[in-house]
Amino acid sequence: MVIRIAQEEWRTLLRNRAGVIATMLLVALVLVAAFVSLERRTRIEADRAGYQASVDADFDKQPARHPHRMVHYGQFVFRPLAPLAFFDTGVDSYTGNTIFLEGHRQNSANFAEARQSSLLLRFGQLTPAFVLQTLAPLLLIFLAFTSVARERERGTLRLLRAQGVDGPRLVAGKLMGHGAIALAIGLPAFLVLIGFAAMGMADWAPIALLILGYAVWLLIWAMLAVVISCFASRSRDALAALVALWMVGVILLPRALPEVAAVETILPTRIETEVALHRDLARIGDSHDPEDPYFNAFKQRTLARYGVSRVEDLPVQYAGLVGMEGERLSTDLYARATNEVSAREASQNARVHGFAVLSPLIAIRQLSMALTASDVTAHQDFLDQAEAFRYRFVQTLNRMQAVLIPHIGGEDPRVSAENWKRVPRFAYQPYDPLRSNAASIGGNLMVLLGWLVGLSVLATLAARRIGGIVR
Amino acid sequence: MSRWFAELRLIRRSYLSLWSLALLFALSALAVVSGLQHVARQHATIERVAKAQAQDFAAVAATHGKPDGDAGDAAYYSFLLTRDAPPPLAFAAIGQRDIQPYVLRVRALGLQQQLYDAEAINAELALPGVFDWAFVLVYLAPLIVIALAHDLVTGEREGGRLRLLLSMPGHGLWWRRIGLRYALVMMALGLPLVAGTVLSTAPLAGTGAMLLAAALYLGFWFGVALLVGSAVQASATAAAGLIGCWILLTLVLPTLANAAITRAIPAAKGVDLTLAQREAVHRGWDIAKGDTFERFFLNHPEWRGREAFEGRFHWKWYYAIHQVGDETVATDVAAYRTSLLAREQWSARAGYLLPGVAAQSVLHRIADTDQAAQLHYQDSVATFHTTLRRFFYPYLFADRPFTRADFERIPAYVPRAPTGSLPLAPLLALLATAALLLAIGGYRIARVSGAGRA
Repeated sequence: MVIRIAQEEWRTLLRNRAGVIATMLLVALVLVAAFVSLERRTRIEADRAGYQASVDADFDKQPARHPHRMVHYGQFVFRPLAPLAFFDTGVDSYTGNTIFLEGHRQNSANFAEARQSSLLLRFGQLTPAFVLQTLAPLLLIFLAFTSVARERERGTLRLLRAQGVDGPRLVAGKLMGHGAIALAIGLPAFLVLIGFAAMGMADWAPIALLILGYAVWLLIWAMLAVVISCFASRSRDALAALVALWMVGVILLPRALPEVAAVETILPTRIETEVALHRDLARIGDSHDPEDPYFNAFKQRTLARYGVSRVEDLPVQYAGLVGMEGERLSTDLYARATNEVSAREASQNARVHGFAVLSPLIAIRQLSMALTASDVTAHQDFLDQAEAFRYRFVQTLNRMQAVLIPHIGGEDPRVSAENWKRVPRFAYQPYDPLRSNAASIGGNLMVLLGWLVGLSVLATLAARRIGGIVR
Repeated sequence: MSRWFAELRLIRRSYLSLWSLALLFALSALAVVSGLQHVARQHATIERVAKAQAQDFAAVAATHGKPDGDAGDAAYYSFLLTRDAPPPLAFAAIGQRDIQPYVLRVRALGLQQQLYDAEAINAELALPGVFDWAFVLVYLAPLIVIALAHDLVTGEREGGRLRLLLSMPGHGLWWRRIGLRYALVMMALGLPLVAGTVLSTAPLAGTGAMLLAAALYLGFWFGVALLVGSAVQASATAAAGLIGCWILLTLVLPTLANAAITRAIPAAKGVDLTLAQREAVHRGWDIAKGDTFERFFLNHPEWRGREAFEGRFHWKWYYAIHQVGDETVATDVAAYRTSLLAREQWSARAGYLLPGVAAQSVLHRIADTDQAAQLHYQDSVATFHTTLRRFFYPYLFADRPFTRADFERIPAYVPRAPTGSLPLAPLLALLATAALLLAIGGYRIARVSGAGRA
């Protein structure tokens, strides 16, 4: 019986020419988006890999120099784009993708795409995620808003009752019909993902979770449409209510909430962070001041370690050691400042995430960005890796200065170019969202499933109501 | 007149219409409040940064401002603050101001290694876009227009009143209906904007221009509603068709256009010029000092003959290296700017076909918050940087000491003058599409007959 109702619903929808055309357009759009976005990712990734290779080669080609000069020649690192970022570009366009790493400074990641684009970018970016998150719910609304209200308007509810269909069966049949359609609409995108994994370009686990998440997301909208259609007395009211829900949940809340979060938690500017940092650094000590207590203590420790009584007797260059100590201190301070800023960012974001209970879009968006490694956590991971590398890179050069320079001497001591090849290169460790971001992924999946459960309860209530009307 | 009142009574009786108008008013008011708050936050940030910067500068002056102070040290450690305060109408159309830096510190070193530094932004908060009046106009107001106007004809037909209405004497029925709804929508949308303008003491002329753009944009949507509404039989079909148009025009086509523009006009020159500038600056240490000075004198001939110094290092040589580094990449810088401007131009051209895009570019040009505004800010930073360099050169090349008092003479950044303007091309495009759609819609609706299913 339930299946027959679902089949009847499919037959009706097939006769609705506009619905069929809209569905085909959406499927086409998913495929176009996947294709365009895949091409884009490949191009960006090739660009960044090309730049990384070229700056690494440039580093090797530098002539003999004082190591400290190489500390400021620095290294550029480019953030590789995660393979699945084609499906959801996430925040990639809003975060800089290249950082200049040098001594005693933490530079910003620059050249974010959004800063280089016109305002057109703010309409959204064409990715499968955009189509599934923003447009698919509207299509599901259009296909399902008449599902039950239509029967009521035409008086066919009574007729169905006479055929032995009660409320729960009717609602179950409609839900089944539209649920299947929701999954069918998601299918092309799912197939693209499966194909991607089958070709070995991404792991199966995030792909499976991504498909699960989007399947639940689409089911939520199909269910919501059917449930509202049960409660509405006219199809038109159901449509108005559903479009309003979509507008608030998908378009409005995600845009309005960030301002609330930004007002509650102030994010300090880089300038303030820099100023505070230099003040703190100056408080620790001044290595140029012969009377400075901190660096005098450092000198005593160093002399004791090498078992000599004068700086001139050290087997290494003292200035190089002071450079290493300074780098250690400033890096610690930078780390503290960075943690402070990311904690504030996290609290801003948590404020928005809290509203996922009201707008499941926030949950699917977070889930999708997390699984495709295009969220802020993945970007932060890149920044952390870059900073850890920066420290190793700078200290390697400082050590070269301390160890090699005393043996060279002269007016203009330079270390031979051969040494630059021994300086470490940035090797990005691919970010695994399932290991690093499991809590957020699990939480957002639970929110989506919670929505499904909540809607099931509402559907049961609706079914009872319809049973009452039918009787 | 009584006919207008009768029409108003009809709207008052329709829950959907009343709720839609109330919702639009509430959204517009919220957006204005949110925009004002955003702008206030940016002002507060600038103030905070200016305070921190003043402390930093004072500390540098105290450390390096000695009777025999070296101008090289002073120039190296003195950061100067530049800032781009929100223009008066930014609250209505925040545009790119949420992601572009509006405070930047520069010093007399190479400009190109400082100019593109990013400020701390929370990318996740920026991702969905800002909630401001421009957003309410471009995205949400068309939906309200659809709610109000989709069933003008079909609603009467479904109510069985269409024949009667059409047989009544006099004409202008549809224009009266449309005109009244149009006026109500404009009021609901515009009043909060006017209030916001008065509150923030922004020029009313700019607001007037924004309202003009809004009126044209909404005129387009009323035209579409008339066209679709007169072509179909049922209200639900009209609503579905109109929302389909809305999805296409505000969600799908702009993203496609953006993908095409980004693909066609790459902006990689930014990275290229940064890399080239670094090579040029560091090569300066390895080549003969004379070569660097020769290149430097091309644009600074007044210092020729003052380049000689004893020893391995002199600050004037150091700053010459940096300036030569900037000059070496001048063509790359120009190419980078050209690519950004080309993206901007093609976006404006997309507006000839997409009214939403046209409205967006008109509003943000009026508000002076688009990419052009950011480039203008960068230009003003570059001008200031030149002033700053040229301030230090006499000290460096004439070996004048840099004392505490000289710190007071370091030039300060002068904020750029606002460049908000009324762009005519997209406005004319809006006018043309609105007039066209209203004409076709009006023509079609005038030919609606009572025939068909009643």
